[in-house]
Amino acid sequence: MKMLRRGKSLSRAGKSGALVLALLGVVMLIVVPLAGPERYLLKVLDFVGIAVIVTAGLALLFGYAGQVSLGHAGFVGIGAYTSAYLVSTVGVPWLVGVAAAVLLSTLGGLILALPSLRLKGHYLAMATLGFNEIIYVMFREARGITGGHDGFGGIPYPSIGGFTIDTPLGVYLLVWAVAALVVFFVWSLVQGRPGRAMRALHGSEIGAEASGIDTVKLKVRVFALSAALAGLAGALYAHAIGFISPSSFGLDQSIIYLAIVVVGGGGSIVGPVVAAILLSLLPYADALLPNLSQSTVTLLQAWETDIYGLTMIVVAILAPGGLASLMRRRKGREETVSA
Amino acid sequence: MELAELLQYVVAGLKSGAVYALVALGFTIVYGSTGIINFAQGEFFMLGGVLSVWYYNAGLALPLAGLCGVLTTVVVGLLFERIALRPRRSAGALVLVVITIGASMVMKSLARHLFGPDEAMLPVFTPGPSLDIGGVAIERQTLWVWAITIVVVIFLTWLYKRTRFGRAMRACSISHDAARLMGIDTARVVMVSFGMAAALGALAGLAVAPLTQTAWDVGGPMGLKGFAAAILGGLGNPLAAVVGGLVLGLLESLSVAFLSSTYKDAISLLVLLIVLFVRPQGLLGRARREKV
Repeated sequence: MKMLRRGKSLSRAGKSGALVLALLGVVMLIVVPLAGPERYLLKVLDFVGIAVIVTAGLALLFGYAGQVSLGHAGFVGIGAYTSAYLVSTVGVPWLVGVAAAVLLSTLGGLILALPSLRLKGHYLAMATLGFNEIIYVMFREARGITGGHDGFGGIPYPSIGGFTIDTPLGVYLLVWAVAALVVFFVWSLVQGRPGRAMRALHGSEIGAEASGIDTVKLKVRVFALSAALAGLAGALYAHAIGFISPSSFGLDQSIIYLAIVVVGGGGSIVGPVVAAILLSLLPYADALLPNLSQSTVTLLQAWETDIYGLTMIVVAILAPGGLASLMRRRKGREETVSA
Repeated sequence: MELAELLQYVVAGLKSGAVYALVALGFTIVYGSTGIINFAQGEFFMLGGVLSVWYYNAGLALPLAGLCGVLTTVVVGLLFERIALRPRRSAGALVLVVITIGASMVMKSLARHLFGPDEAMLPVFTPGPSLDIGGVAIERQTLWVWAITIVVVIFLTWLYKRTRFGRAMRACSISHDAARLMGIDTARVVMVSFGMAAALGALAGLAVAPLTQTAWDVGGPMGLKGFAAAILGGLGNPLAAVVGGLVLGLLESLSVAFLSSTYKDAISLLVLLIVLFVRPQGLLGRARREKV
């Protein structure tokens, strides 16, 4: 009911975005479980849901505030290793592990926000890239905590009190419930003043400042929030999959997250979320299309990086607004026709 | 530590420093004439090595294989600029970052598909025992690395200072619009800059292919080091890039001598981050203030 009342003040684009998101939420949380999917598909959809959470945070940072980050896989890793270590080695409750993961990655985000106060564009990209590399080296070298190259296995399933979520469907529902909450939170954030402030920052930093926006505070907050969401995603990932290794949190993965937001389009949450679903399903297309031949799947997986890279370039050159602007444009046409 | 041993580390540092300098020059040339930081610069280094190995294995003589490797990389660099960057030349930094990162991903991945995942090596350019100077051994290939770097620096200095084209490049680095109003073909300057950056990266990759193994994934780490070197000196200034490269190489090598080799790769990252945080204009650069 509350949502409906808020809906009245929303713009048209906001409304259609809400509709797409609500539809997605219904499909992922109700329709998929009812379809009784097999184990493999559920695991793939876990990956997708985790990518959606990271993407929602990065869409705020990159798509709205215009601050580039090539360090998001690093934050996911911080979250994953923190929670994995605390829960399985130290033995704290799962929720405490997740909270610590979010806290620590937020701290990482605050640290990374510092260069963003002085640097922008290319320079900020390089600084965040360097950050990711350092984090990656730490994961690899701090063997006592992370298990080094061989990874960190046997991470327990999520559990609250005495209740353990240890079925594939349970884990899936947990991941997507969190994803739905995160997307809704981020989406409602950008409908209001913070969203406008971020867009102003993107457009012109000096202009935003002149309009009374505290750009320093804003940047620090967006970086921290974006990193916190990545850390949350990482914690979920660790407990949902049960095994983590440094290679999941390297620069390549950061670039893939950035590619997702680029394909999804700036100034939008719906676009990047849809892009996250499409692009992270790509290498596991066989989960949805069981008739797909093994060779096609192998080919898709082998050429995954090329496809991401090329899509990223093509979108940047030909459709800089990404999926979001395509959706907007189609909508605009419909409106002109009906008017 | 004995003096000879220390000098041995200095030689090693100056060797890798010269390679960083070549990659850094690529960054600096492109930055100078376009304001773009080319995230695909490291891939030119990779292509230079991998392509030369491929030509060599295909049966070409070593000098010819090296030449073909460098020239092919130059063609890749020119095509990259023409196809991927020129259409969005006037776009903001974010778009250009995205394009060059995407390109580096594609180049790297294509190289793996075309040339395989395995590491490969070239034979040394001139076989023979290492030179022994006062107890310090210098490999012949190291001399080649230095020679290539020195020739490149002399050539670039001549180009920038003495030729019309060099003057056009310097004009572009000050203001594209003003340069175009003076009748300079800025599009050509940009394209040639990318060609030169590709050539320098490829030369570096070729020069070290006999020393360290080359493979599809060597571009990223080298790009990071080259950029660290470029920004350490101060982006946009060729001489500063060379100084930055040599300083970085020495720092790395001395850290191996006095600390441990695990920290070697972290040095360049540390240098990169410290310079970015504290002095983004580099050691030799002057601060610029942003105007409204």
